[in-house]
Order: sequence, then structure tokens, then C-alpha cells
Amino acid sequence: MAAALSVSPNRMELIKLKQRTALAQKGHDLLKDKMDALVMELFDTLRRIQESRAKAMEQLRKSYSALSNCMAVLGTVETMQAARQTRKEVQIEVSTRNIMGIQVPTVEIGETERNALTRGYSLHLTSSSLDIAAKELERALRLLIGLAELEETAFAIARELERTKRRVNALEYILIPRLKDAMRFIMMRLDEMERENFTRLKRIKAILEERR
Amino acid sequence: MGLRIAVVGDRDTVTGFALAGVTYSHIHRAKEETLAKLEEFLASSEIGLILITHRTADDLGPELNQMLQDKKLLPLVLRIPDKTGYAPKADELREIIRRTVGAEIIIKREGE
Repeated sequence: MAAALSVSPNRMELIKLKQRTALAQKGHDLLKDKMDALVMELFDTLRRIQESRAKAMEQLRKSYSALSNCMAVLGTVETMQAARQTRKEVQIEVSTRNIMGIQVPTVEIGETERNALTRGYSLHLTSSSLDIAAKELERALRLLIGLAELEETAFAIARELERTKRRVNALEYILIPRLKDAMRFIMMRLDEMERENFTRLKRIKAILEERR
Repeated sequence: MGLRIAVVGDRDTVTGFALAGVTYSHIHRAKEETLAKLEEFLASSEIGLILITHRTADDLGPELNQMLQDKKLLPLVLRIPDKTGYAPKADELREIIRRTVGAEIIIKREGE
């Protein structure tokens, strides 16, 4: 209330306050709409994450079992040796997309699956179990990249949602009530001044009549 | 601009993803070493995605979360389960959603 009472009670101030309140209300409504839209977007993304994650995890599980199998057949050291020789040049393209003013990443990926000849490890020292493992892992990698994009998107939306919510709350619970308090204070004060004036006039009138 | 991928985790996971063509890798042994390496990966403009195993992420603790909060949009960081399939129940995405929306969101597929 201390802040509200520091305004000087006059009509000019009241008009200004009215304008500010209207503006704050408008901003509040807009932000609230934005929040609703963000929530919808978030739900949508979460649903897609869930599907994508289930797929990626399943593929990853398969990949790990293929890898374990390969390590058992070929030997751990040999597998690591082959991994060291593998050509490591998977590339991704990351660009950003705009969802309601939020930057979210879009990841594009070239071909991840290769055949045994293009992977780069020596063929006569390795067995087909290594090829299988590598193939499964390449598939898993592709799915994981898609998942990473979705997760990052959800994060960005959630962060923006948090910020928006904070602003909505600040307007709704602090700024707008404060402006309304100030307006009420000015109106009361003006009414009071009017009543004072009224009694003053009455009194003057009585005095004048007495003199006559 | 073609960006590369990095993987951080235990020996087997790193070996596996190297086989799949991941360019940069780091095997997690000591916390400080891995943190320094991650810092390097995060600062690199060549890397577009960092895969990190849940177990390693847990090992690094709050320092990792701090680093992830300060990072720019790129590189993306994704936590993956390792060979044992270990993944914590409460993942950080659910946590942030619980905080913002004020409610747990559980999406069920239709028909479930």
C-alpha cells in the first residue's frame, strides 16, 4: 500500500492510472494466451518424445546386446581396435526454428548406415558379429539424434513457459492489484475532497445568510 | 555446416558409438578429467551433439547441471542409458515440467 499511497490524488493521475491498468490487463491477457499455446505445444512435444524415446531405447538395447555379443565372439580388445579404426565422420546439420519466439533446434542427419566396406575397419581381422553390432548402433544413433532434437525443444518450451508464467503472475498478483489500489485511493480522496467542498459551501452559505 | 557428434561414458558405450561413426569420444574415469573434457566439447563449435550416459551424468552431479544451464543452444546434450540399461526414474525434463506446470504430466498412449 505504501507504493500505492505515494501518488498525488488528482484527476490527471487517475486518468494515467486507468490507462496503465488497461495496458497491464491487455498484456496479461496476451501473455495468458501465449501460455496456453505453449502448454499445448509442450504436450505435443512430450507425446512425440515418448514415442521417439520408446523406439530409441528399444533400438539401443538391441545395439548393446549386439555389441556384447561381438565382444564375446571377437574379444574386447579386438572390438576396441576395430572401433579405433572405424571412420568417424557422421555429420549432422543443426538449424534453428522458431516456435512463438523461442529458438528450437532442428537436426538433420545424413546417411548413418554404412556397409562393412565403408566403415574402415579391417575385414579379415573381424567377424560378421562386428558388422551387425555396428549396424545396430548406427540405427540407434539415428534415433537418438531425433530424440535429442525433441528433448531440447521440450526444454526450450518449458523454460519459456516458466518465464511467461512468472510474468503473468507478476502482472496478475502484483502490478494490477497495486494499480487498482492506487486508483481506489485517488477516487476515495477525490470524493472526500468533494464532500469537504460541499460542507464548506453550505457553511459559507449559512454565514452569508446570517449576515444579511 | 556439418557438425560432429561426441560421446562420453564408460568404455563399452564409447567403443560402441565409435563403431557407429561418432567422431569425438571420452571414456569417463575421473570426475575432474571428464568435466574438463566436457567443457572442451561444449565450447567447441564443431560439435552439434553430445551423448552422455546416465551413469556418468550422475557421477558428475551438480557441476554437470550447472554446465548444461550455462550452455548455448548448441551443442545439444542427450543422456542415454549405458549397457546395463540404467536410467534414473526422475529425469530432469519431468522435473522442469513439474516446476512449470505445477503438475506431473503423464501421457498415456491411446488404448492403454
